[in-house]
Amino acid sequence: MLLMTFINGLTMAALLFIMAVGLNLSFGLLRIVNLTHGSFYLLGGYIGLYVYKATESWIFGIAAAGIVVAIIAFIEEFTLLRRVRGKPTLETLITLSLAIIISDLLIVIWGGNPKTIKIPELLKGYVTLFDANVPIYNIFIFCFACFICLTLWLILQKTKIGMIIRAGVDNFEITSTLGINIQLVFTLVFTAAGFLAGIAGAIGGTYLMVAPGEDWRILTYALLVIIIGGMGSFGGTIVGSIIIGMIFSFGNVYVPQFSLFLMFAPVAITLVIRPKGLFGRITS
Amino acid sequence: MIALILSIAPNFGNTFLIIMLIRIMYYGLMAIAFSFLAGQLGLFSLMVPVAFGVSGYTMAILETKNILIFPYSVLVGIILALIISAFLGVMVNRSKGTYFLMLTLVLGQLAYAIVLQWVSLTKGTTGITGVNRPYLLNIANLGKNVSFYYFILVVFIICIILLYVLINSSFGVKLRGVRESESRMIMLGYNTSLIKWVAFMVSSFVSSIGGIFFVYFIGLMNPDAISLNASVKVMIASIFGGINSIIGAIIGTGIIKTVEIVLSWITQRYLLIIGVMFLIVILLAPNGIMGIAERISKFGTRLFKKNSK
Repeated sequence: MLLMTFINGLTMAALLFIMAVGLNLSFGLLRIVNLTHGSFYLLGGYIGLYVYKATESWIFGIAAAGIVVAIIAFIEEFTLLRRVRGKPTLETLITLSLAIIISDLLIVIWGGNPKTIKIPELLKGYVTLFDANVPIYNIFIFCFACFICLTLWLILQKTKIGMIIRAGVDNFEITSTLGINIQLVFTLVFTAAGFLAGIAGAIGGTYLMVAPGEDWRILTYALLVIIIGGMGSFGGTIVGSIIIGMIFSFGNVYVPQFSLFLMFAPVAITLVIRPKGLFGRITS
Repeated sequence: MIALILSIAPNFGNTFLIIMLIRIMYYGLMAIAFSFLAGQLGLFSLMVPVAFGVSGYTMAILETKNILIFPYSVLVGIILALIISAFLGVMVNRSKGTYFLMLTLVLGQLAYAIVLQWVSLTKGTTGITGVNRPYLLNIANLGKNVSFYYFILVVFIICIILLYVLINSSFGVKLRGVRESESRMIMLGYNTSLIKWVAFMVSSFVSSIGGIFFVYFIGLMNPDAISLNASVKVMIASIFGGINSIIGAIIGTGIIKTVEIVLSWITQRYLLIIGVMFLIVILLAPNGIMGIAERISKFGTRLFKKNSK
């Protein structure tokens, strides 16, 4: 039982990581809390569901989810956010309004009933680990998150673009004076975050469910992750995801009446002790 | 401004109108609480409904379990809301701008989650029902809508006056100073954390009063009142009307509530339309209705000046 809860915690952590890392990077670089991120997730879920049903290919569903959401993210950044660059409150309000619009639009298109995406044949079934039956799908989510984590880490540490992003997160003004087209980098990061959210939505939709309200729920968890882990910190996102994922899992099993309260408690503690989060890097 | 206040006072005996005005007033209390923080301090707090909810729930629980009744239940409700807001105010004190909005979103969700999950106390999604309106010192039976209306009107106007006094006092100047540049205020020797905290408490106080009226009017309390939906609607209503003005927040609430009712006759998805309206407002008219009104009046004055030459 304990092992199973632990594994569920890791799975949740993995899913949250994919969501939170995009949110954290776009906050670190653009200084916007993209509140539309939750709606991106749900949109990804619905698109994944739709494409899966239409094409019988789960992989295609996930890819489509990622790409469509990335396109929407791109449009959002290009048309709206550019106009209000430099006014963070306005930017956040725009992301919030889009979140409301998309979230309601999804109900209009797909209705209010909860749905799930079926696990594809390849990933069904269990594997016995010690005394727990671990669904293969959980292992998949975990491995996929590790893959994303590693890929992102490599990009951030070993490529020129990664270097620019890291520099931008640390000190945006100086980076923009270096003659780099920082606007392009912004758009890239924002779109990439959207892509990740869409994929997370399709994968999460298979693990959890695709329903109205999931967008705000996951957004809240992702926000918890980045508050605890630290704004703008990649490593912090990993730590934050694990903490929240574990609390979510153990809380649900052992103290379901207070599980949500337990998730917020470390946030409260972090805010008082280290308002920037455990590994926060934001200077302003 | 005075004209607007005067026009609220007479009522026409139309029950629907009275009910709408009462609704606008108790939601309006949350909106003016939000506007106070947003306009004076520049902080957008999505936690305003928390005070509303705490006072409302506390009072509802006390009344339905017959532990305390009016006016003691009201007092305990407001005091508890203030205590919790004090605590929350300390937690968010060090943050500003976008981070603040994010934090209040999360903390607001926390309150919602606790209320939703603590079923033994709050009956979860069902909510608490069966709260009766009290006799007010044998002066009026608040059971009738009309007397309730006058009662809430009086309290509402007192709250508006309270906020106006604060805004136009030296405290208001200090708040706006913190909004402009907190570091400068600190350099000048002001205890900005305390100033901000007091502003939170004032805002929560006004919001908690709204909660009391909500429960007494409708007779029940449920978690929806402090959901993210509610927080966002408060913010939208405030921004619609113009965050820099208290009257604006009231007008904004009026518009949102009316739109809600009208649109829900047509479609269930009024949130979508409100979302689009919100987007248009923040892009084209960031100072809301009052901003537009100002622009029109400035335009009008210029027009008159030109004509008189």
